[in-house]
Order: sequence, then C-alpha cells, then structure tokens
Amino acid sequence: MYFKASAGLKLNNPVLQAALKKAQPLFTAKRRKGMASLAADGLDFETTRAAAAAIRQRVLDDLEHWLKTFEQKALATGAEVLWARDGAEVSRLVVELAQRHGVRTVTKSKSMLSEEAGLNAALSAAGIRPVETDLGEYIVQLAKEPPSHIIAPAVHKTIGEVDSLFAEAHGRPPQSRTSADIPLLAKEARQVLRAQFLAADMGISGANFLIAETGSAALMTNEGNGRMVTTLPRIHVVVTGIEKIVPTLADFATLMRLLPRSATGQDISNYVSLLTGVRREGDDEGPEKTVFILVDNGRANLLGGPFEAMLRCIRCGACMNHCPVYFALGGHAYGWVYPGPMGSVLTPLFSGIEQALDLPHASTGCNQCGSVCPVGIPLPDLMHGLREVQNARGLLAPGERRALALWGWIAARPRWYRWMTRLAARYLSWLAGDAQRIEVFGLLPEWTAGRDLPMRSRKTFQEQYAARKRD
Amino acid sequence: MRIALYVTCLIDLMRPSAGFAALRLLELTGADVHVPEGQTCCGQPAWSAGNRPLAINLAKKAVAELEAYDAVVIPSGSCADHLRHRYPELLKDDHAWSARAASVAARCHELSDFLVNVLPLPEVPGTFDGSVTYHDSCKGLRQLGIKTQPRALLARVQGLSLREMPDCEACCGFGGAFSVRFDAISTRIVDDKCDTILATGADAIVGGDLGCLLNIEGRLRRRGDTETRVLHFAEVLAGGSGS
Repeated sequence: MYFKASAGLKLNNPVLQAALKKAQPLFTAKRRKGMASLAADGLDFETTRAAAAAIRQRVLDDLEHWLKTFEQKALATGAEVLWARDGAEVSRLVVELAQRHGVRTVTKSKSMLSEEAGLNAALSAAGIRPVETDLGEYIVQLAKEPPSHIIAPAVHKTIGEVDSLFAEAHGRPPQSRTSADIPLLAKEARQVLRAQFLAADMGISGANFLIAETGSAALMTNEGNGRMVTTLPRIHVVVTGIEKIVPTLADFATLMRLLPRSATGQDISNYVSLLTGVRREGDDEGPEKTVFILVDNGRANLLGGPFEAMLRCIRCGACMNHCPVYFALGGHAYGWVYPGPMGSVLTPLFSGIEQALDLPHASTGCNQCGSVCPVGIPLPDLMHGLREVQNARGLLAPGERRALALWGWIAARPRWYRWMTRLAARYLSWLAGDAQRIEVFGLLPEWTAGRDLPMRSRKTFQEQYAARKRD
Repeated sequence: MRIALYVTCLIDLMRPSAGFAALRLLELTGADVHVPEGQTCCGQPAWSAGNRPLAINLAKKAVAELEAYDAVVIPSGSCADHLRHRYPELLKDDHAWSARAASVAARCHELSDFLVNVLPLPEVPGTFDGSVTYHDSCKGLRQLGIKTQPRALLARVQGLSLREMPDCEACCGFGGAFSVRFDAISTRIVDDKCDTILATGADAIVGGDLGCLLNIEGRLRRRGDTETRVLHFAEVLAGGSGS
C-alpha cells in the first residue's frame, strides 16, 4: 500500500495512536539521559560524533580492503564467510545450510537484515521453524507482523494486545493488564522461549559491528537472548550488511560510547558480546560452526555516490525516535523494513526510487533526526537529494510539476508577481470575511481539511509599502 | 549601513503587519532601510520540491537584487537559512555567480539575530499585557542557532511575561509543501503543538516564521480556540496595529 494511504489508516487507528503517544516522550527522555551521561563522562557530543562519523567514513572509503581483512581474520578463527548479493541469496544460503545440517528449529536474535531478506518466510517455506527470541520480535512474530521500529519492534503494540497474543499462543485465558505487568509477560515469554533455546540447532543473529582486526561480530542486546542464540545451538549464523565493518576494537569502543546512549540512553547495553570463531577445545560453550553471511543488497551501489553517508548508519533508531512523522504513524506506514527518516532514505535506495515516491517527501525538513544522529548523517539533505533525483527523472506528478513551473515563471517576473499577489490578497480576504480566516479553500483543499487559513489583510505588503512611499 | 528588508512571500501576502513591524524595528536601529521592489520569493518551495533549475533561477534573481546592500534582513528563519546556506550551494558550480552568492549569503541575517548581534535594537516600542509562549521554528533553531535572540528581545517588552512550553523545539508539522502533501499527518503533528501551547495558558503564541504561525493559528481556530493570539515576534516588539 502506498505511504499516504497507509498513513491515513494509521492516523485513524486510536489504539496505535495511544501507543505512539505514550512511547514518544519515553524515547526522547532516554536519549537525553544518554547525552547527560556522555557529558558526565567528560565527552562532548559533537566531538564524539565527529570521531564516530570519521571511523565509519574511513571504512566506506576503502570498504573492499576492510572486508578482505575481516574475511581473512574470520577464516583464521575457524569461521566461514559467505557473501550474498541480495535478500534472496541470503535466504537461499541459510536454508541450504540448515538443510545440510538437519536443522529443524532456528532461534533468532534481532536482525533487521533478515527482514530485508524475508528470511523467516523462506525458512518456514522450507519446513524449518524460525523462533524470534527478542521479546519485541517474539511479539510481532506472534502477531504475524513485521517490526515497526528497528530497536523496539513492538512499540506499536499496547499491553492489552500483547496479552491477547500471549493468551492465544500460550493457551491461557486473556487477562487485563497494566504496564506494571510487563515483567510478568516477559517472564511468560522467557519460559516459553527457554525450551526453544535448548531445542534449536541453529542460531541466527545480526551484528551491530564486524571488527576487522579480530574477525569478530559485536552484538549488543539487553535481554540476554542474543547470548543464548549465539552460543547454545551447534551452528551460529551471523547475517549482516557489508557496511557494518569497523577497523579495530578501539574504533568499536568509540562507537559504543554513542550507540546505546543514542538508542536507549544506556551507557552500555546489558550484554555486549564479541563473538569470535568457533568453540575451541576446553571451551564450555559456543557453536561448532560459525558462518558469516555478508550481504550487499544495494549497499555497494551507494559507495562513492551522493547517498554514501547513509551507509555510516549504526542502526540506533534515534532518527525515528525524534521524528514527528514517525510518531504520527508508527513504522508500518513506511511500507518496508526500515521506518522513519533512515527508512525514507534507505527504502527508495534499496527497493528502487520509483517504488517509494512519497517517502523522500515524508519529512517536514525539521532536521530533528540529523541533529541527533550519532554518525552525523545529514538525513534531510539525503531525502532532499532523492527529491532532486525524482525531478530529474520526471517522476513527480504532472499536475504538481505544472503548478510549480507556473509559480516559478511568475515568481521570476516581479510585475506579474505583484499583480497576482494583489489579486490573491483580495480574493483570500474576501473568502476569509469578518472572521479573517478561511474555513474551506477550494484551490488548496488540503490546507483547510484540518485547519483554517488565517487571512487578515486585503492588500499585500508591497502594495501598502508602495502607497506609503507615494504619500 | 544600507539594509535590505527581505519581506518573504508569505508575509507579503498573508501577514503584511509582520513586515511593517520588521521595517519599524530596523528603522529604529538608525540604519538606512530599503525594501527592494523586485523581490518575490526566495525559491525555497522550488528547492524543497527538488526542482533545482527553478531554485537556481530564483536564487540568481534574489542575489542580483540584494547584492547592493550591506546587509539583508529576513523576518523568517526558514527563508534566512535558504539564502544563507542554500544559495551558495545552489550556485557553487557557476563561475559567474558563486562568489556573488557567497557574498550575499554572508550578509543575510534572520531578524532577531540581526537585532541582537549585528545592529542592536536601541529601544523596544511594543508593550504586551500578558503572557506569551515561544515556538522555536526548526530551520531557525537548528540551521541558524536562533534560540536566545528572540527571547532576549521579548524580555524587553514592557508587561510581557514568557511562559516556556515543554517541547518548544518540536516541529509544528508545517514543512512547506508537506503541510498540503500530507495534510492529515501535518494536522496530527500540529495538534500536539496546540496541546502544549494551550497547556501553558499563555495569551499568545509567538514565533519567527509565518509558515509555522499560519499552521498553528489555523489549527487552533479550527479546534475552536479564538482566544489565543498568534503573533510574529516582530509584531510584539514593534507594537502598534500588529500586536
């Protein structure tokens, strides 16, 4: 469904609106707390983000080198490294791997890339059961929905909805719940998931970063499920984008100062895992087989181009957490894996500019996203760049193009412009009448659908000023 | 100092009183103030729509009209940002224009910033019997650092008390063409803004960008609020018919 139509449904869903209204101040308060703790550590946000952006940019400047370095190191630790051109290839590789090793149940830690690939559907189609173990992902999996936020997948759900889903899935009667019951519901999910963790033959996770110098995947989670997914099953598959590389552990440490603080306000996430290689002799735990699947899916195309900065993204979610449009609609309205400002840039770039014509315009240009981005991605500029591409390719609606061209023609001709605005002022103030506001404006009905148009003067400034000068 | 007042298309058409208020304030600084006659629109709507050729065309027109002045003052953070930051970017590859655009851009100032940091306003003629709350418009705030300037000026208005609202820096949902392209989303966002404004109990909501003010006023009125006044800070500072 197109963004605008979908947005209409979201705006008229009172349950969703209630969930979003509740979540927004919590998200922004968390980041404020994170920034306060950054300052308390004696770190300046602008300086730290410049350093973080520089690390990410250094990788993008020579991505092939860093990928090769990572591959060599990972192979040396006993891991395997596979490459996937797109989501379909990811699914094919994972399913083949699972079938080759007789895997029947897969536990999954949060991975947005597996959403890009439609991996759960592919596994299910092959008779392999994927079990999401992040609490939010578990909830949306039960609801048969995609995540609506990259770090809070079920933020669109109310506690009542979660209870109904659990009641049905866990075979118990529904109960009336308040937010005080969240720990109870988490415990309930944990008990159900415990058996899955022990039964799974394969764990699939994403990676927050890939460390080139050690060949490790860095994973940050809050629930501990990531640890179980990556250490209990015999096979661990890491599915992640090729841009997730950072050169060194020291670079990782720099990014760690900003990622959890930007995302959840934590100084550090509850669990930070550096997953390297396979279980060695004498190790108590760990997979016998570790496979990295490094995915392009449109990323390499962006290197060296006007949208390259988007590849710096470290998936913290701060842009959507500070986006008025995101919090008016929730993530599902965006139509693909990534919502909010980062999604409005990534979706057209990854799925095709023609496929998401609305998204680059779905921004007030407020730059609340750009100002909080921990790696300094100029998100409004990138959305703007996509609008220019749309224009250059003639993708704007013909009516809109004509109206803009006509306006531009007049605006370039001051005499015409003065006469047109004089007429407009008279017409508008006549429409507005004594109340000095227009309630229904036929020429621009969208404005007056939800607002009046205030209009207090019959004459333009220029007209009045010229008269004043004459006097 | 020869100053050009760049009125902006929205003020010219929709709220001339804000333009005359700006003019009065600038004249109080003792500067030689002019209103260049040929001015129309800075071209931001074209830029925002992604129509670069049209945005360039209107940028050149404005640069030619404004380059004779020592300073250009704009009673809008959004338009000031466009002249200051976008003109040099739009014209950077055009040898005949790049230096001219950069030179004009460096002389462009948002009104409150100009009256605080460039040519201080010697006296504040306006009086206001009541409380106001201030909405920080996005472009002024985040691209130009307009935050303390309008507040410092409003603090000098006799009788006025400022009641800050939480989230005064949150977007009102206007966003130019966004407000009609996605009118329902825009309305949903401005509703939040109206809620926070009304919660302050202030007599007026004051801001520095007419787009935001039309959006906020339009929604307040549609919700049935006819009491809360919606004013450009220039109108409050200048007094007279505007405020």
